[in-house]
This record gives sequence, C-alpha cells and structure tokens, in this order.
Amino acid sequence: MNLTRRDFLKIAAVTGGIAVAGTPVVKSVLALGKKPVLLPQYVPTTCEMCFWRCGVIAKVVDGKVVKLDGNPIHPNSRGKLCARGHGGIGLLYDPDRLKTPLINTGSRGEGKFKKASWDEALGYVADKMQKIKEKYSAESIALLTHGTVSTYFLHLLQAFGSPNFAMPSFALCRGARDVAFEVTYGENVGNYERVDIQNSKVIVLMGSHYGENAHNSLCQEFAEAVSKGAIVIVADPRFSTAAGKAKYWLPIKPATDLALLLSWINVIINEGLYDKEYVAKYTVGFNEVANSVKEYTPEWAQKETDIPANLIIETARIIGKNKPNVLINPGRHTAWYSDNVQRLRAVAILIALLGSYGKPGGIYLNPSKKLEPVFLSEKDYPEPQKPSINKGNYPFAGEEGVTHSIVKATLTENPYPIKGWFITQTNIMKAMPNQKDTLKAIQKLDLLVAVDIMPYDGVMLADVVLPECTYLERHDDLFTVKEKAFGISLRQPVVQPMYDTKPGWWIAKELGKRLGLDDYFTWNTFEDFLKMKCKAWGIDYSELAKKGYISFPESEKPYITADNEPKFKTPSGKIELYSKELKEKGFDPVPKYTKHEQPQEGWFRLIYGRAPVHTFSRTTNNPSLWELMKENTAWVNAKVAKRMGLENGEYIVLINQDGVKSNKVRIKITERIRPDCVYLVHGFSTTSKLLKKAYLRGADDQQLITRYTIEPIAGTVGMRVNFVKIAREV
Amino acid sequence: MPRYVMVIDVERCIGCMACIVACKKENNVADGYFRTRVVEEVRGEFPYLRMELRSELCNHCENAPCIDACPTGASHRAKNGTVQIDKQKCIGCKACILACPYDARYSTPEGVADKCTFCEHRLKEGKKPACVETCLGKSRIFGDLDDPNSEVSQLLKKYDASVRLEFAGTSPRVFYINKKFAGGSL
Amino acid sequence: MIELSITGTNAITFPHLEVWDWRIVIYLFLGGLSAGIMVMYSIANLHIPKQPVEEIAPCIRAPFISFIILAVGAQFIIFDLGSPFHLYWGYLTFNPLSLMSWGTWGVPAVLLANGLYILAVIPKEQRYRLKFPFLIKISEKLTLNMRPITKLNFALGIFLGIYTGVLLSSFSAIPLWNNATLPILFLVSALSSGAAMIVIIAKKAEIKFLFTKIDIWLIVAELVVIALFFYGLYSSPAPYKKAIAPFFSLTSEHFIFTIALIAIFLLLPLALRIKLGELKEFKDGFHGEFTKAQILRMNIAAILVLAGTLILRAAIVYAGQLTKLS
Repeated sequence: MNLTRRDFLKIAAVTGGIAVAGTPVVKSVLALGKKPVLLPQYVPTTCEMCFWRCGVIAKVVDGKVVKLDGNPIHPNSRGKLCARGHGGIGLLYDPDRLKTPLINTGSRGEGKFKKASWDEALGYVADKMQKIKEKYSAESIALLTHGTVSTYFLHLLQAFGSPNFAMPSFALCRGARDVAFEVTYGENVGNYERVDIQNSKVIVLMGSHYGENAHNSLCQEFAEAVSKGAIVIVADPRFSTAAGKAKYWLPIKPATDLALLLSWINVIINEGLYDKEYVAKYTVGFNEVANSVKEYTPEWAQKETDIPANLIIETARIIGKNKPNVLINPGRHTAWYSDNVQRLRAVAILIALLGSYGKPGGIYLNPSKKLEPVFLSEKDYPEPQKPSINKGNYPFAGEEGVTHSIVKATLTENPYPIKGWFITQTNIMKAMPNQKDTLKAIQKLDLLVAVDIMPYDGVMLADVVLPECTYLERHDDLFTVKEKAFGISLRQPVVQPMYDTKPGWWIAKELGKRLGLDDYFTWNTFEDFLKMKCKAWGIDYSELAKKGYISFPESEKPYITADNEPKFKTPSGKIELYSKELKEKGFDPVPKYTKHEQPQEGWFRLIYGRAPVHTFSRTTNNPSLWELMKENTAWVNAKVAKRMGLENGEYIVLINQDGVKSNKVRIKITERIRPDCVYLVHGFSTTSKLLKKAYLRGADDQQLITRYTIEPIAGTVGMRVNFVKIAREV
Repeated sequence: MPRYVMVIDVERCIGCMACIVACKKENNVADGYFRTRVVEEVRGEFPYLRMELRSELCNHCENAPCIDACPTGASHRAKNGTVQIDKQKCIGCKACILACPYDARYSTPEGVADKCTFCEHRLKEGKKPACVETCLGKSRIFGDLDDPNSEVSQLLKKYDASVRLEFAGTSPRVFYINKKFAGGSL
Repeated sequence: MIELSITGTNAITFPHLEVWDWRIVIYLFLGGLSAGIMVMYSIANLHIPKQPVEEIAPCIRAPFISFIILAVGAQFIIFDLGSPFHLYWGYLTFNPLSLMSWGTWGVPAVLLANGLYILAVIPKEQRYRLKFPFLIKISEKLTLNMRPITKLNFALGIFLGIYTGVLLSSFSAIPLWNNATLPILFLVSALSSGAAMIVIIAKKAEIKFLFTKIDIWLIVAELVVIALFFYGLYSSPAPYKKAIAPFFSLTSEHFIFTIALIAIFLLLPLALRIKLGELKEFKDGFHGEFTKAQILRMNIAAILVLAGTLILRAAIVYAGQLTKLS
C-alpha cells in the first residue's frame, strides 16, 4: 500500500490524538496501586465527652475523623486528651446513635418508636406545647437540661414563657459546693474549679478520686504535684487511685467527713497553725468558728470517723505547717447527705484559715477579664405569669434550678400542674434518684420530649425524640474559659452531621419558628451568631476558628499580691467564716456536726464513683470505650466476702432497704474498701435495648438510690443514704 | 541508627487509660485488640495498702525473641532500631506471639501478627508516639538514648531503672524508673 | 493479697496464651509419627544387609504411609496459618534461629527425601504404577543409590522427630516447653509411635515382631524421659515449677491435664505390658508365625502407644500455654 502524504497526516493525527487522549489513561494505569495521598485536615474544636470541655484538634482524612488530639494551647487539655476524649471517634461512629427523629406510637414510656421527619416531629412538639399553653399555661412546661444544648433550650423555654428549668448539675452534683463558697467567699470556686494543684505542697482530697475522675488538666497537675513530692492526704472509704498516691489514706467511715474537717479545724486553731495575718486581714467570724469547734477534738472525731486521733492530729499538723500552699480540695460531686452545704462550708472555712485562697497551691483567683454577656436574642423574655417552681423553697437554691422540685411539682400538681417536660442531654433515669418517682411523674405529662445523641434510658421514655448530632458535628456557644488566664474556646463542626441529626441550635430555632418565636432566633445559622458575638467582644473569629482557643494572658492574676487584692462579694466584703446570711435564714452560721444513719449489721452503704474511661452513662455504649470497661463491678471488702463465702468475679445482686433488686453484677473482692460499704461505678446497666453493647451490663447504682435526703439550704440532694444487702445471683 | 527507648515513671501514672485509646485511634487497631495496657497492682491488707500503676507495651527488645522466631523475616529490626512487622511477609504462624514473654503481640483479624510500632510513622515526622503525647501524667517519656542530652538519657543516668522480666535476657528498651533513689544532685 | 487489674489485654494472650490449638497438635503428632516411621523403615532397610529390593518390597507401604501422613500433617499447619498466601516469603529467606524457618524448608525436604525413597524402593513389578515415564526413569536410577537415600531418610526422620520438640523448646516465654528435655521427649515419642505404626501396618510377622521389640525399648525410654521432664521442671525456678501444676491439679479447670498424665502413665505401661507378654510367649524363639489373638494384642498395644503419643503432645501444647514466664 502506498502511503500518501494525506494518509500519513491522517494517521499521524489519529495516532497523536490517541496519544494525547490516552495519556491520562496511561498515567492512571501507572498510578494503579499507588493511592493518592490524602492530606489530613486539622480542625480545632472543643470536646464534650465530659464537661471539662478540653480543646481538641480533630484530624480529618477524606471526610472521616481519624484521630483526636489535645489542643496544646487550651488550658484544660494542654495538648493531651483523656481516654474519653480519644473515644470521641467512637461516639461519632457508634452504630447505635440516634439517627432520625422518633415518635412513640405506644403508651407513655413504652419506647415503641416510629421514624419521623423533622417536620412531623417538630410539628407534633409545637402543637402539643401550644395545647398545654392554652389548657394550662406556658409555665406548665419544664426543662431538665445539661450540656451545651442547655443554651438553646433555656432560651426557647423562657421565650415561650416558662421559668421552670433545672440542671441536674446543681442539686445532684456540685450545687452544694458552689453555694457554700458563694456564702463564704462571695463567688463559687469555679466550674473548672480553681485548684492550683501543681503548686500544692499538700493536697487533701475528701473523696475526690483523681485518676478515676479523669478531668484532664487536674489529672495532669495532680501527677505533676505527686512527682514533685506533694503530700497527698485522702479521706475516702475506698482506696482509690488517688489514695494510691497518698502518704495518708484515711479510710473514713462514710457520712463522717464533716467530723474530720471540723476536727482538723479544731487542731489547727488550737495549735495556732492557721494564718493569723490572713485571717485578720481578710476574714470575719474567726472567734465564732474557734468557739464552735471546741467540742470537735481529735478524740471525739476518732469515735465518729474510725480514724485514729493521732493520725488526725498528724495530718492536721502537716496541713497547717505547709500553709498556704495547701489545697483542701472542694471536690465536685458533693450531693452526699443532708448537710452538704455545711460540709462544704467547713472546707471553705479551712481553706481560709490556711490562707490558701488566693495563694499558690491553694485556690487561685479568677482571671481579671470580664466580657459583657451577649444573649442569643436582644428581645426580652415575657414575664412569667405564674411563680417559678424550679427553686422549691430553698433560700439558697441556685439559678440552675432544683431538679426534684420540678419532679415534685409534676407529681403533686402543686402549685400548678406541670404538663410537659423537655429533657435535653441529660439521662434523667440515671441522674435523678428514686427512679420510681421519675416514672410516675412522666405519666402525668401530656408531652415528653427528649433531645439527645444516644438512645439513653431517659430518651426511651419520650413521646418525641429529637436527635442532636455529636459535638464533632456542630457549632455551640463560645466557651469562656476561666482558668488562670481568661480565654475563649470555640466549638465548630469537624464533619457534617451524620444521618438526619441536627445541632441543638437548629432544633431550638426550628421549634421556635413553629411556636411563633422567630424574633428570638434572628440569626440565620449559629455561626452567624458566633461571628456577631466575637465582633461584640473584639475577637477575630477567623483566628479563633483557626486556633480553636484564644487566650488573654494579661488577665492571669491568680494570687494575692500587693497590687492584686481580692474582692469578696459578701455582705461584709470579707471572707465570712461566720455566715450572717445563713443565720438570717435560720441555718447554722458555722457548720455543726450531725450524725447520719449508719447501716445495720448485714447491710452495706452503697457508695459510687467514676471510672477513667467512662463519663457516667454517656459512654457505656461507646465502641472505643466499652471494650475497656464493659461492666462495673461491686467492690466488697475481702473479709466480708469470705464470711459470705463469695468468690471473686461471681455474679451477685444488690438489694436495697426498699427491696429493690439490682441487675446481676460481678463482685470485686478487694481489700480496698471498708467492710461497711459496697462501691459501684456510676452509670451502668442501661435499660435501653437500643444501646446494644451496654444493655443490662453491670448494676445500676441509681436504681438502688430509692431514698435520698434534701438539705434545706439549697435543696441539694443526698444520695449516699441507701443501704444494700448482698445476695448470690439466683 | 538511633536507639529509641521509652522510660516509664510509674509514680506519675494515674491510670487514666488515655494511652490505650490514643494508640488504638492513631494506629487504627481493630476493636477488641490492644497494643498497650495499664496494669494496676494493689498489695496489702486493709487498711495498709500500696498501689502501683504502670503501662506495658512492646519493649522493642535488643535481644528480641520474636525476631528469632520469625520464619519469613516479617518480624525484623527496622533501620531506626525498633522492632517492626512487615505485614506483607507475615504468614500468621503465630510463633512470634508465643516467643514474646511480654504479651506484646496479637493476631489481627486479617491473620497477621501485630504489635506496637513505637508509632514509627510519627517518629518519621519528628513527633512522639501517640501514647507518650497524650499521657496525662507525663509518665511515658520517649527519646534517643544515644543522644546524651535527651530526656531519657538524663533520667536513666539519674534514677534507678528496671525492666520487665530482666532474667528473660531480652534486653528491653522500655525502662521503669524509681525516683525514690536518685543518684547525684546535678 | 495481690489484686491485679489489667486494662487493655488481648484475648489471645490473656489470661493465658491461646495461640496454638488442635491444628498444631495434630501436625506435631502426624509429623512425629511420620518421622518415626521414616526412621523405622530406614533402620529396617539398613539393618537387613544388602538384600535385594524384592525382599524388602513389602516395606514400601511404610514410606508411602509416612509420606501421606506428613503431607496431611503439613496441611494442618498450613490450615493454622493466618495468612497462608504469604508463605512464599518463607522460601525467599532462611532464618537459622527460627525453628519455623527450619520447618518451612525442612518439611518439604523430608517429603522429597521420603518421595525419593519410595521411588528407590518401589519393586520392579510395581514401577508401572508410577505412570509418568520420567518418574520411572528416576526410580530406576535411584534404586542404584538406595543405601545413601535410606541413610538420608534416617537422618531426616531424626531431624523431623527432634525439630518439633526444638520448635516448642525455642520459646523462652513458655516455661513448660523451654527446656532441653522436650526435644528428646518428642524424638523418643515420635520413634515409639513410628515403631507402633509399623507394627500395625507390617504384613510380615518378622517385621511385626522386630518392631514390637524395638518399641519396648522406646516406651521404656519415653517413660523415663517424661519422668525426667517433670522432675526437671519441678526442680526449676518458680515459673517452671508452676508450669507443671496443671498436670497435678484436682480443680475442675485443669483436671483434664491430670487425667492426660494419668492416661499416659496408664496407656504406655499397659502397652509395654502387653508387648512384654508377647515376648514372653516367644522366649524360646520366634517361629515366624502369630495367632490371630497375638496379632490383635500387638495391634492394641500399638494403638495404645499412638494414643499415648497424641495425648502427650496435646497435653504439652495446651498446658504449655497456661503458664507464663512472668
């Protein structure tokens, strides 16, 4: 065949065309076997696996979160995360997560859910809310809330016209501590409690169990202090991890902590070990305290606490001699007995006597920055027509509300019926004692709405379940971090919300729309609000979004110095060792010891605490954390177990004084607990079948807490007043 | 070749278990398998009790019995001195799991042997292993023992150090220091 | 009281090792059995001085059976591999410190030697069964070199019998296995099981009798070595002493190992007793024929020996993984 010039050109063109067109084919063939390297994205945000709210940097590869690390510049994480923080990935990808709105088609509490659209679910809720408002009043809707979702639903509820909200964190957790310190110092000791652990020479822990209670920066500082040789004194009926680091483990008889504290104060005053200058300069009421504690001698305390008098004296001297760099740890969960506030008052008084409030190693002072609050809406809330019922009659009840007041009001319809409950990010079955009351109360409602991430026990009771996305998928309000320095921490989505879940702000806004409350949600997305807030505060939002945390180091003024004198917002302007406020309301102005009931022979006091890999019932189903602790165990003293012929690891049941029987639980026979107590890690044995990993594993301590005390000052609850019997699992 | 070692200060370990989860996430370890663990030992009788908390992991032994046991060379000493597993070569005979006296190894769902890598991929970027970085108590310290200025060198110079199962003759590269007896005051 | 709580353990190593199971036990048993048979037929071949092939033709069944047993045994170990498709890497390297590497190369070598022996020993009339002409040619060539091949088989049989023991004893982390007695024990038990197997498969009465006699010595040796094995561990430091505890345990958990030990010390001496009984019958001299009852008794004794060997290996593999060095 003769190749003409035209043919040649044609062929060349075709060949050339193929060559050009085929190059990508060739390239991709050559690239076969070599995956394109996806560069990871690092997005800073704020954790919510517990309520320490550490700064997190999420590593995202191809739309998937592959690692979470501590934000080095955030004071609560300092570049590190605890086990739960790392387990955030497990929460995000937990197959048991709530995925769509759910509507209960069965009877109240039955949990016979059908999937619903947001429109349907929100419409249902709005409709019911309007009906309740018409038939009863807006105030007949109450809110039980915890976590960042509180911001939106407190706003929504108050915009709707109801003042009846309660956060379990007050009456069921740290309320007593906050009230005691407010009464004494004019301010609370901080949500990130302002404990200067790393500079403490002596650390006194009344039941606090750092290490098992894994509040990130506090654990970091605790380890640092221990390494530097700090003397740790632990008063705990259980040999905790913290006790394992202690020079003195005082296995105190439960319910007698106040006796120990008062006796320490007695010794410290008698031996002149208190800071006389500090007391003279900053406090009032020393003489009253000195008189009041005269009867609380170490010998007396020995009889109460089971701690030898010489040990009480020895530890008091160590505390006194090392002032002011001594930390009497105020603790956090203080809802123990019927005198919580008085017990924490004793702590506050002792801190003042040692002159450690405002000194290194003690309680450091608030950072000196204040920002004007920026509200979700400029519009005022409507004035409630009916009196709020959320504070009970407790004169010092906090603004956060008292949970059992709402439960009681619902049950008794006194002063008016409560017909609707919102439970947002709180597992009421595990948070509130006397589950029977809770279950009875919800039967009185016309509407029970749950907003949460996982199908917890409480969520399963709801009429409507509105699924919120996890903290990794949403914006939330800026966190004002008042550690030593003031800072602002941002939460922003790291990945888009999975399934059909929505951020809390969106749920509240959409519900608000259907309730005619648009005016209260004028911002479009929550990021718009955040940008506006940053502008109002003079913060560069883009910088905050890049770094995750912005600090104001000049605000760090932790200690009392010549040019940093503390201001106490008390009636007297000083630290009130003797509290006139309390006296005026009819309470002991200086703590007095009351004996609490002890268990009879054959009965054991039920005490509970934390595990480092779990955040109460929130994480028991988390695939990343569940495998580290699948169930809790019942700690029983070795001699007691031997007497009962029990073997380690065998299943037992606990039966409380009201005959309530727990789920079967493995016994942990140990020397680490007093013979008169049984200990459980709180939060196990969910009754929710949708939590496939955690369902019925372990024993539920809250189920056994059927009776509780209420202390009269602030309405805080006492949950360590239940006694149990041990029986073999049949 | 650097000599990477880990020094564990047991006094600082508070049993937070963060290392266990961080390691799993960093290295994509399958559910139910662990590359590091935390041991809590309590001795004595109520009320006289003593607790030791420590973490344990692959010791990247200098005299590694796992390397000796491997028929294909999958278990080998990498250029950076650490003991690694080449998954492509591993036949899953599990001899290395039996050879290791420290329970450091396990068999993955894919059928190959696996263990701690000292986060080799992070070492390449100049970062510390994930467990070291997240340790709340700063109980895990990592570095090059051949560098006299490294923290690990300083610690091992100053304090009494022991290793797990010394009599097994594996010459581990993970040291547990006891700060109660410190040598010298420099 | 020591309270130990460990978070982050793997099921394969905690609370005790569960790494190797029945697959390895069967491999060790079949491997040992094959090794024993190889040694036995090699002895038989070498022992019968320079007899023509036809005379020892009946002995071809032994190498055949040993080949199949080892091939099947190797399947079990391959079955145990987690990632068998990577096995070729084992043939790209040889790690002299790794007994698994010795096995990776050694087992095919043994099979090859065994195969060569079959080809060398197959009688002329049976050669057609080889089917392939190149095999027949090889067979013809090999027959001329039968003695060296037999010596090779003997050596590799000893290797196979002892290497399974050395494999286990190489794990310094397993106190029950990590001693010098175990390889000897495994070798003796392999030879004993090999002799027992020959007793069962041999057609010629002389062979049966010869190996019954041989097995008597081997059983005695095995019992002595087992006793030394346990005593050696008993008089060793704590982890080693602890390692034999399951064999003397009356708790339900480990009782099975005590039963295994009792079984071994019942079955083997019983087999011994039967065999000695047989010998007694012929103390006036062997007259070349057995009654049916005698053959039955010999076979029973052989089966007892095989059972004893299997139980021994199973017990050692499982019990070994119960105790750690720590």
